Amino acid sequence: MFLQNIHTLLFSILRNHVTHPEWEWIDQKSQAPALELMTAFVAAPRFLSKQPLELTTEETLQINEVYPGFSLENWNPIRLGRVCLLMSLDTSEQETYVRHVETLFDTAEMNELVALYSALPLLSYPEKWLFRATEAVRSNVGVVFDALALQNPYPARHFNELAWNQLVLKTIFNDKPIHLISGLEERVNEKLALTLADFAKERWAAGRSVAAQVWRLIPPFVNGTLLETMQQLFQSTNTYDQMAAALACFHSENVEAKKLLANFPELEKQVHHQKISWADLEFSNLNTYVSER
Amino acid sequence: MCQKDKDYSQNPSHFEEIHESVSHRDLNWEQYRGYIEGMRFFDPHVHMTSRTTDDYQAMYDAGIVALIEPAFWLGQPRTGLASFKDYFSSLVNWERFRSSQFGIKHYCTIGLNSREANNEPLAEQVMEILPLFLYKEGVVGVGEIGFDDQTPAEEKYYRAQLELAKEAKLPVQVHTPHRDKKQGTERSMAIALEHGLDPSWVVIDHNNEETVKSVLDQGFYAAFTIYPFTKMGNERMVKVVQRYGSERIMINCAADWGISDPLALPKTAALMKMHGIDDETIRQVTYQNAIDAFGKSGQIDEADFANGIAIDQSLKMNGNTILRGGQQPLVPRESLLIK
Repeated sequence: MFLQNIHTLLFSILRNHVTHPEWEWIDQKSQAPALELMTAFVAAPRFLSKQPLELTTEETLQINEVYPGFSLENWNPIRLGRVCLLMSLDTSEQETYVRHVETLFDTAEMNELVALYSALPLLSYPEKWLFRATEAVRSNVGVVFDALALQNPYPARHFNELAWNQLVLKTIFNDKPIHLISGLEERVNEKLALTLADFAKERWAAGRSVAAQVWRLIPPFVNGTLLETMQQLFQSTNTYDQMAAALACFHSENVEAKKLLANFPELEKQVHHQKISWADLEFSNLNTYVSER
Repeated sequence: MCQKDKDYSQNPSHFEEIHESVSHRDLNWEQYRGYIEGMRFFDPHVHMTSRTTDDYQAMYDAGIVALIEPAFWLGQPRTGLASFKDYFSSLVNWERFRSSQFGIKHYCTIGLNSREANNEPLAEQVMEILPLFLYKEGVVGVGEIGFDDQTPAEEKYYRAQLELAKEAKLPVQVHTPHRDKKQGTERSMAIALEHGLDPSWVVIDHNNEETVKSVLDQGFYAAFTIYPFTKMGNERMVKVVQRYGSERIMINCAADWGISDPLALPKTAALMKMHGIDDETIRQVTYQNAIDAFGKSGQIDEADFANGIAIDQSLKMNGNTILRGGQQPLVPRESLLIK
């Protein structure tokens, strides 16, 4: 039922944003036998426009309602058309269906992989794509990594803790904005928080920085090591680091963290009055590998 | 006939003193950068898989904005279908991405090369997966295919791939043999015509002074590979352009795992300029003709690279990969400090 709703919605959005011949092509191919449909998936750039989709506010709201965490931001008709084709594959025989999708993965070029990973949360038999999904996290091709890691609800729904933590750490490591990871808040965990502290120390030792927004992952676990890390963060010359330390301590239940925050009355006042929030630290164009000095 | 440059200077008049037999000249960056300032180049044949990041950087610096990487053999024969599949896949995936990180638009041609056509059981399997790749975005032709030893197996798969090209409406990039070149080139063209291909959709590669006339007369594109020792030298190339003009002629470097030069195109452009060849002719043979020929695939949009490709920050990957955030595709090579 859910897949049917999102299927209908995506087709109707695509229809609103393509020309009549483009629509006829996609409509016909989506009903074609598997091999013809798969060829159409590959050949989509020959028939569909690559100009970005300009979604209406209403369409964006509809997507958010039907599938929270899913997004068509920065998509074009080729990507959406490919996802629609994938959703049209016959799913009745699991083995055949899985084989077809695997074939597309095996032979995919960069933009096809982007479409395939974008479609993961919409495919049937979601547990079948776990290995493929972790392969995207291992990818060094930026757009492929992004297609799975950012604005995609699949990982938060299906990854175990180990795979999830790898995804978040690799996003940070790759200087990508973690606030675009769907389900970030729901999947915080102590192991991830502690690994972050180690990671930050290594980076600081190398004279590099850590994006301030990553500290939003630690408030429930501020204790011992992480408390020390917060002390260091308050001492940073970077204002965003100080803001992050204040926010992390403020949102922590730990008494020591509250005491630490009280040492910085100006920051404490700002977080109390909601003058600063995690949203103030959400930058997309990170550059933490370049030394600040 | 590759000579080191000795008495070479930036004064073009010195060329008049150069002995007639010089066929190739290497130039260093300081010697030729002034001549190609503001020029953009499209190299329609270069095997980047075999090249380093230094090459990408130098190519970008020298004005190469786009290139075509033809599928070829990797120096030793492959033993199974999976390695062909992974290779084709890398041309449309990883190598394309790697190139984009250095500001160069990457296209490719896909095909079963002539040497490995001789392994018939494997060749049969490769033919089956070719269509999966030929229709992909950015695949601008079937190539490089043709003859090497001129065996019956090579002929069989050359013909079969010409049919694939017709079916997919793609141009063809034809490798011509090193040995018995003249005959091999004639035979390649005759077979293409026999299969009903429009010669303006076929690029005959690795030409020399002996083959060019017939190739042009029959309506094919003539590509020249500046590859010292085994193919053309750039001094010879200048003479070819002086004699035949720019129509349907294109130059490439075919740089690979051998001693070859990924900057052959800009260097040859500089040499043409030094010899007084006009800018428009240089533009045709080092940029426009390749776009016209391979653009018939419908897969080349000049706007994607004409003004340099935008290096999208969101495409970047940090850590253990090729570029770090905010870093331009330029590393100060003289610097000892590695941050």
